[in-house]
Amino acid sequence: MKKELLFSGIGGQGVITLGETLCDAAIKAGYNVTFVPFYGQEKRGGRTMCNIVISDGIESPIISEADIMLIFDDRSLGDYQGLVSPNGKLIINSSMVSVEENVPDTVDVRKVPFNDVAVEAGNPKTANVVAMGYIAKLLPEVPFELIQEFVEKSFAAKPKLIPVNIKALSMGYEL
Amino acid sequence: MGEKVFMQGNQAMAESAIRAGCKLFFGYPITPSSEVPEYYAKAMKDRPEENIMFVQAETEVAAFNMVAGAVSTGHRAMTATAGPGFDLGQEAMSFMSAADLPAVVVEVQRPGPGDGEILAAQGDYFSAVKGGGHGDYNNLVLAPYSVQEMCELMQESFELAEKYCNPVVLLTDATLAKMRESVVIPDYKELPKPEDITNSLTGKKGREAHKVATCGDGAVQWEEFNLRLQAKYKRIAENEVRYEAKNMDDADIILVAYGSMARVCESAMKMAREEGIKVGMIRPISLWPFPDVAFEGITGKKFLVVELSAGQMVQDVKLAVENKRDVTFFGKLGGTTPSPKVVLEQIKKLV
Repeated sequence: MKKELLFSGIGGQGVITLGETLCDAAIKAGYNVTFVPFYGQEKRGGRTMCNIVISDGIESPIISEADIMLIFDDRSLGDYQGLVSPNGKLIINSSMVSVEENVPDTVDVRKVPFNDVAVEAGNPKTANVVAMGYIAKLLPEVPFELIQEFVEKSFAAKPKLIPVNIKALSMGYEL
Repeated sequence: MGEKVFMQGNQAMAESAIRAGCKLFFGYPITPSSEVPEYYAKAMKDRPEENIMFVQAETEVAAFNMVAGAVSTGHRAMTATAGPGFDLGQEAMSFMSAADLPAVVVEVQRPGPGDGEILAAQGDYFSAVKGGGHGDYNNLVLAPYSVQEMCELMQESFELAEKYCNPVVLLTDATLAKMRESVVIPDYKELPKPEDITNSLTGKKGREAHKVATCGDGAVQWEEFNLRLQAKYKRIAENEVRYEAKNMDDADIILVAYGSMARVCESAMKMAREEGIKVGMIRPISLWPFPDVAFEGITGKKFLVVELSAGQMVQDVKLAVENKRDVTFFGKLGGTTPSPKVVLEQIKKLV
């Protein structure tokens, strides 16, 4: 088993946190996992991207082609769409992205309004958690229960926020 | 064995240094090495029972010289920096090697020259391996390629520095520093007593006086001093060569890479083998002393050297191989790392 993932957005959207949570769950599921973040030099509002590799053996932490690519802003789409695998899935947050993608027809493109779903879940800030749920559905190798466990853990300091985030996660999973 | 944790390279390495008994850290924060001083600063506050001390120096010049002072007392001390900071430390590096001081320096490479970028690069090979300071001296340079190896070599660096009374440079890069992966942090190590460290300044009661000095009083004496240093470097060169060689027996093409680039090349090697291209790999772990021995006697094979530079380690490869026309170079500049697929395309050009 080897899955290469790329998540990209703007600082503050929670794309990196999402990636780290997925990694925690994948490790607990028994896989070798690498997580490489790429930041701009800006302190706020810069681009944040990460490469994640989930595999049975030791692999390059730098991905060749993304099996799953998650895009949260226009510029990220332009910069990284060339890296999506011809058989991969390109997930675009249609609440935030207005430009059209340009990828081979074989790519499975999913446009999902994560922010709108987050509002429906009860907190607009949970868009990344909705996306986490959506990715969990596409990545059955990492059990949903483990992802849920680590989403809960990441809010251990603010337990009041757990119910809305679990709701957002489930709504993303069921989309 | 301890428990597996999912940890960032810089942080895991800093914890390993603390467990190796390095309680003294002097540094000036610079991306992508800043998590190391941050980790020490936090440990100093949160773990008072361990007597950890972190000093943020006013510049890297000061930090390197503080390390020189601290290690001359027989206590383990280190600094961590990136290329621009390593530049500023060169006067101290030359001094510490000449003065037989067991300093440990982590250099996290980022793209230069000048201010550059904060992504991954390997353009500081020359300054670390060939000696960026003045005079005839060598650093012992180690290059890990995983978070686990960063931790292990971090701990060993202190032992090697003390064994040879010479600075050790742990040369990493922004990818290894920032990436997270599963790692078992090595355990606490038993420490030598400061007075047992060769030449340490612990007070001369009951023994001959030690001195830390690097100036001569004439050409003859200074030549003698230099020859003694050269004997030290020769001992290191004879004993501390490290490398990993994989899939060599049937290989037609041999990849040569270190650090994070070696990690990428290993995946490229797997992909090539799946397509029936016989690829092997040599991964230097000690960059100085360079593992010439790994290349000895290999003829009729092609070498593809891959670096995040304009071509630095490739010069040492050309000195080590039987026929330098067998060596091809592929490099990437500015901070992007070629993916395994991109390296595979380069391999195919040689088939």
